[in-house]
Amino acid sequence: MRKIWTILTLQLKEFFKSPGVLVLMFVMPVLFSGIFGGMTMNSEQNKPVVNVVLNDTEISGQILNLLTKEHHYEWKKATRQQAEKNVAAQDVAAAVVIPDDIGERILASEPLLDIIVQRKSETYLALSAHLEGTAGLVLRSYQATSKLEADAFPKVLETIANNKGVTVEKQTIQKETKTNVEASLLFVGFAIMFMMFGLSGAASAILEERMGGTWGRLMVSPASKLQIILGYLLAYFFMGWIQFAVLMTTMNLMFATTWGKLTYLIPFVSLVILSVVGFGLMIAGLVKTKQQASAISAVLIVSTCMLGGVYWPIDVVPDIMQKIALGVPQSWAMSGFKEIISGSLHSATLVKDTLALVGFSALFFFIGLRGIKFE
Amino acid sequence: MNMLTVQDLRKSFGNMEAVKGVNFSVEKGESYGLLGPNGAGKSTTINMITGLFPPTSGEIQIKDINVIKNPKQAQKWIGVVPQEIALYQSMSARENLKFWGRMYDLSGSELEKSVDQVLEIIGLTERAKDKVETFSGGMKRRVNIGAAILHKPELLIMDEPTVGIDPQSRNHILETVKRLNGEGMTIIYTSHYMEEVEYLCERIGIVDHGQLIASGTLSELRETIGDHSKIILSIDKDSSNLDGLAQSLTSLFSEKDIQIQDHQVMVFHKEPQLILTDFIQSVAKSGTKITSVDIVEPNLESVFLHLTGRKLRD
Ligand SMILES: Nc1ncnc2c1ncn2[C@@H]1O[C@H](COP(=O)(O)OP(=O)(O)O)[C@@H](O)[C@H]1O
Ligand SMILES: [Mg+2]
Repeated sequence: MRKIWTILTLQLKEFFKSPGVLVLMFVMPVLFSGIFGGMTMNSEQNKPVVNVVLNDTEISGQILNLLTKEHHYEWKKATRQQAEKNVAAQDVAAAVVIPDDIGERILASEPLLDIIVQRKSETYLALSAHLEGTAGLVLRSYQATSKLEADAFPKVLETIANNKGVTVEKQTIQKETKTNVEASLLFVGFAIMFMMFGLSGAASAILEERMGGTWGRLMVSPASKLQIILGYLLAYFFMGWIQFAVLMTTMNLMFATTWGKLTYLIPFVSLVILSVVGFGLMIAGLVKTKQQASAISAVLIVSTCMLGGVYWPIDVVPDIMQKIALGVPQSWAMSGFKEIISGSLHSATLVKDTLALVGFSALFFFIGLRGIKFE
Repeated sequence: MNMLTVQDLRKSFGNMEAVKGVNFSVEKGESYGLLGPNGAGKSTTINMITGLFPPTSGEIQIKDINVIKNPKQAQKWIGVVPQEIALYQSMSARENLKFWGRMYDLSGSELEKSVDQVLEIIGLTERAKDKVETFSGGMKRRVNIGAAILHKPELLIMDEPTVGIDPQSRNHILETVKRLNGEGMTIIYTSHYMEEVEYLCERIGIVDHGQLIASGTLSELRETIGDHSKIILSIDKDSSNLDGLAQSLTSLFSEKDIQIQDHQVMVFHKEPQLILTDFIQSVAKSGTKITSVDIVEPNLESVFLHLTGRKLRD
């Protein structure tokens, strides 16, 4: 046990002493998720602008309040003429008209709100869903207040708008957590990718140790092969955990990023790191020199990370690519992380992800341990 | 009691047989040298004895333990100085020694004490905190040896521990090994420098092409070439009449003891002092000009030459 610990601490020290390793394991994931995350962030900051055409009745004002509850658009008042011009010039994504005759439309069961767009784009689809929701709200409020005083209707609308109107606000919250999860997943993905680089580099150092003689010297010491290989493998496992723990804690402290339930997260991260260790061991077992190892692992890591949904969510790629993704461990890791970080914790998915990763790890260790030469 | 017994040891790498049936044994307290040129199979033999890899066939026993079946048991008693400098270059000398000490079950104050002692022995107490990568070749070699003696092994196995270092470090190492042997440590020492094994080893095995072609004490090995010294006269070739010279020499010595080359005339003889004057006179008489005279005592170099027809180092 003491020998395992001695080997482990030596390997850890050697590993984290190198500035290159520190950059690779800690700076690169932040940088990469910043760059890739920034691209999605930017597209969000350019919110589509929607013009609203309205008269100055109280009801119109309250409907506008309801509409602006949806933060994914930038709402701007305009006259009908301006709005039509803006839409035609594509200066705005759409224009919403709150008609003057809204009371009559309610009675006649006609659509309450008009929308002006150039073509039925995605923005239109999303927007019309929001408009329908708002209109429904207005309608029900009217029906509920129709037997009451005249100003009861606008009052109810006001209450809904001010008191966190149930439907709308809920939608917003869900949308926001969703983007947070995506950002967290991106970060986790890049942490894993650079962990793969770091750990396969560390594992292929065994090849250098064989040339240098320290490997042989260990083999002829009274330490058993099992103790030696456990020392190395545990060292790699710790390297992975140290990176992950440092990155996750930093993100948590700086950006209040949450990572889901720790009781799920810790075992799952351990399993993912185990498969990364297995991957590194496999590379070291398959090649003869450290140069070969780094060339092969660079190609393998980058391509499988792309396939496995580290760079972008797997659901945006074509079906065939999603099928192929099942063949790389990263897709299972990302799927599990999604369940855990989003908090949905769908157990069937988690079990599948876990089993897949256990399978990959077993395969990697089998190939790796057979390939490593103990002399 | 034998410290080490090696029986009919063989090792093949693919089609290449690197060790072809080697037998020898080393007694407790003895220092045994394996002398042979590069590629003779010394390291391969050593690596099997230390249990790094198994032989293709044959038996190895250290004390009463079968090394092939039970390497970890035997490895506790032995210290191994590999041919390469097997150290962690980015760590200090002390860190390296502590690491290797722990691998041999040392710990706590026992480890500290033993590291201090070894640093003293290898003369690196002052540089203990410096990284090994900043050391000269000789200093690295000394740490390489230090790492093998921390646990005070009964058997110290050294594979060419002085390759590529300055004479000073080399002398320091040779003296250290001699002292350790004097204190009772059994030594196995491989080298392609005959002076080293001559100085250190009580018994010597000469290895060539994977075989032990001769073994014994230094004087026993000298006996194999009849313990003849060699008198070498360097001559001025222009002035010589080689045929006449050969004739006059055969009247004094038997033909097999004479060698005549371009610039040299050599005679092998047990007692060179007795025949030196006659030899010089007969050469001079033939009209040959002598430029220098040299007497070479029989050494391992001449034994190797005698056995293989080649020089130890080419
Ligand atoms: N791992 C190996 N694979 C193939 N050939 C080897 C290996 N190790 C040594 N040899 C060959 O075995 C022969 C003996 O080598 P070695 O024992 O290192 O000689 P020495 O130590 O006496 O210089 C050499 O011809 C060498 O090339
Ligand atoms: Mg050698």
